[in-house]
Amino acid sequence: MEKQHYAIEMRGICKSFGSVAANKDINLNVKPGEILALLGENGSGKTTLMNMLSGIYKPDSGSILVDGREVSINSPEDAKRLGIGMVHQHFKLVDVFSAADNIWLGDDKSGPVLKKERYGVIRDMAQKFGFEIDPRKKVHNMAVSEKQTLEIVKVLYYGAKIIILDEPTAVLTVQETAKLFGVLRRMRESGHAIIIITHKLGEVLEISDRVAVLRKGEYIGTVDTATANEQKLTELMVGRKVELNIDRPVVEKTRPLLEIRNLTIRNDEGAVAIDNVDFYIRGGEILGVAGIAGCGQKELCEAIAGLRPIESGMMIHKGDNIVGLSPKAILEKGISMSFIPEDRLGMGLAPSMSITDNMLLKKYDQAKGPFVDRRAGRAEAKQVIEDLEIVTPSTETPVRRLSGGNVQKVLLGREIKAGPNVIVTAYPVRGLDINSSYAIYDILNRQKEDGVGILFVGEDLDVMIDLCDKIMVLCHGKVMGVVHAYKTSKEELGLMMTGALDLTNKYEDKPAGIARDSRIEDAEEGEE
Amino acid sequence: MKNRQPRFHVVKRESAGPGRQLLAYVAAVVLALAVGAVLLQVQGVNPVTFYRQMLTMGIPGSRYPWRAVENFIKLFVPLLIVSLALSLAFKMRFWNIGGEGQFIMGAFWAAFAAMRLGDALPQPLMVLVMALCGALGGGLYGVAAAVLKVRWGTNETLLTLMLNYIALYFLQFFAETKAEWNFFLDPESARPKFVKFPAGAQMITVPIGPFHLNLSLVAALALCGILFVYLNRTKRGFEIAVVGDSPNTARYAGMKVGRIVIRTIFLSAALIGMAGALHISSAGVMSASPTNSVGWTGIVVAWLAKLNTAGILVTSLLITVLQFGCQTASTTYSSIDANFASLLQGVILFIVLAADFFTRFRLVLRGRSRKEAVK
Repeated sequence: MEKQHYAIEMRGICKSFGSVAANKDINLNVKPGEILALLGENGSGKTTLMNMLSGIYKPDSGSILVDGREVSINSPEDAKRLGIGMVHQHFKLVDVFSAADNIWLGDDKSGPVLKKERYGVIRDMAQKFGFEIDPRKKVHNMAVSEKQTLEIVKVLYYGAKIIILDEPTAVLTVQETAKLFGVLRRMRESGHAIIIITHKLGEVLEISDRVAVLRKGEYIGTVDTATANEQKLTELMVGRKVELNIDRPVVEKTRPLLEIRNLTIRNDEGAVAIDNVDFYIRGGEILGVAGIAGCGQKELCEAIAGLRPIESGMMIHKGDNIVGLSPKAILEKGISMSFIPEDRLGMGLAPSMSITDNMLLKKYDQAKGPFVDRRAGRAEAKQVIEDLEIVTPSTETPVRRLSGGNVQKVLLGREIKAGPNVIVTAYPVRGLDINSSYAIYDILNRQKEDGVGILFVGEDLDVMIDLCDKIMVLCHGKVMGVVHAYKTSKEELGLMMTGALDLTNKYEDKPAGIARDSRIEDAEEGEE
Repeated sequence: MKNRQPRFHVVKRESAGPGRQLLAYVAAVVLALAVGAVLLQVQGVNPVTFYRQMLTMGIPGSRYPWRAVENFIKLFVPLLIVSLALSLAFKMRFWNIGGEGQFIMGAFWAAFAAMRLGDALPQPLMVLVMALCGALGGGLYGVAAAVLKVRWGTNETLLTLMLNYIALYFLQFFAETKAEWNFFLDPESARPKFVKFPAGAQMITVPIGPFHLNLSLVAALALCGILFVYLNRTKRGFEIAVVGDSPNTARYAGMKVGRIVIRTIFLSAALIGMAGALHISSAGVMSASPTNSVGWTGIVVAWLAKLNTAGILVTSLLITVLQFGCQTASTTYSSIDANFASLLQGVILFIVLAADFFTRFRLVLRGRSRKEAVK
């Protein structure tokens, strides 16, 4: 290679937290005008490594070179001065400020006074790079993709030549992702060095010039994207051959177990979150729910579990209306809900309590007498640990101490143990690595084969297309249609997610996604 | 480039064993006593003799050693019960800092019962009635904040705090208002002064030789055991733990969170009220400031003990030794008074919290990590 400096070079970087080595002897380099993908499973140390570039952590040993000079990055300000900008997975924006003010806020040159011309300055600057942002728009009024654009404009405004993006596509639709990649390509042409963290293989192949792979904190190697394919990258990432196909067993479907009709739900702010929605789930079927984050998925799950009052509509389980029943009564009917929120532990588990106690969470009350039957809980915990291969020191370990995949297995394990006939699961593989994700898909498929009806609220369209029987797409709380997974495509789903395609009125005689359950008519007649 | 190297950074330790934590606590107390020793020395008091007197609480060599123990118990019981009761609320992450007010209300209604019924009822029954009135008075006073929180999401910290002052001035009104209807005050005295309770309303004591065992101590110790079982073994205790850990999960598991909060806070406040009742019954007379700050000290005890029932027993014992010992020792030295106990208590709390930090984290000084790597 000729005597051209790398924009960034990391040599022999090590970093450990306590006894855990997050990064071991990592070497990484990026040239100006190049996009490097940093690939690795969860917990492989990608974010830690990048946080050392952006000054959040300091390496224990090793050196960092910017433009060929060794530097010491002690704080985010140092990183900024060196022209390194990071777009974090969780945006670091002030919600009540306008776009321009968010940028102005962190600018050393701007001084203490908010000058009027800041709107113009920032709009011009954004246009120069081909972005469209409204500098006066408040962040809390922005869609996720707008916030992300703002973050990118922000680091460019601060003069970053090296831009790091931490899982930027996790929150975007297919179309928004394509737009983002267009932006990244333009930045590459203007000589920026870009590092993009992701674990989506398709995106890596599409956007990057080279791929650096980390596995369990170790640097595995860097390959040219042109010579790579999905299978090869997965093997580098996981360390062995992996079957990349998700099974979709064909099971004889039963009558609808759960039917939702004309359901309208409001969110915490009082706005309509789910708008006049109809669908049903049969036994032996996985119904996927796709949609951009915050399109009413959470409200829908909570309503089915009885945790959120509904505005209007019907929810019929095996012919009985479950509207207005207490969460406990719904539980007893065999409807199980497991919602994995972004912070993983928010709903469904008590994080500081032991696995045993979490097993007992929904049935501690069934024991006779005033005491909790921990012996039964312990036995159950042991069995779930064994069945689902949960890695834990003991049954008495607080759930909070387990790794993400194991936490999710505890939650799903308990739900399945209760023998439900309907499982509502939201983001069950959120943040899990490939192995754990496949373990979870297997668990769901086994339940499906046992005749359970599953509502699967998901994020990754590729997975949903492979795993689900049908996919319902939500956009701003409205159903855009229900499609057969084997017939649809990511593009079609993406269009539906943004509301550009609405299938519900495509066939006048047969509205999609609505079936009538004869037993309900009986029940209604009975009431009269 | 100019680089500001941080002098040190904080590194998380691997999980510390309980032995190490205990060691850290002992070290913290020793350190706090050393700080106290310096303060004593500055005032011209010999710290060694002062601490000896403090730790023995003036019992050896006293003409009435049993009296000292009895007085010690009178100080210890309210603190123990209040700390236990507060741990109940804190375990649910309900920040009940209204211990003072609930204690006063408990004492007030117990005194009310004592003045009205003291002559009519036999002693055991009367003491029981006082305890019940105290529990009800304190419980209802405390549960108000819980109900408001459950119904309208008000902030319990502010509410319980403010209710303290209402209770304080409510009691002061009765303590200072000389009037025909005010049966709390001594009719004989020209100045407003609380009248002694009738004999039936005095706390029962069991004579063991020259020593009179205050029955409230037995009650408090029994309560310790009961609460331990309640929190760790029963369904209600399980509910408290889940609600404290994650209210969303509790709702999801079908628990009635509002009802659990109200029930638990009623229990917590009722126990504090009962402590007030037992306290004034032991004292034999009402006081305008009956609490001796147990509502505050109890918070310190509960936190130092990490809400652990056995830990609370030990910690409240140690804090009482500190308070009572300082009180007795200060009688010898004119320059020291009981406030020194509060000061020392503050220093201990501060250092123990710091010790807690160092059992979980350690500091790595600048440059050291690099040297380690070279090795």
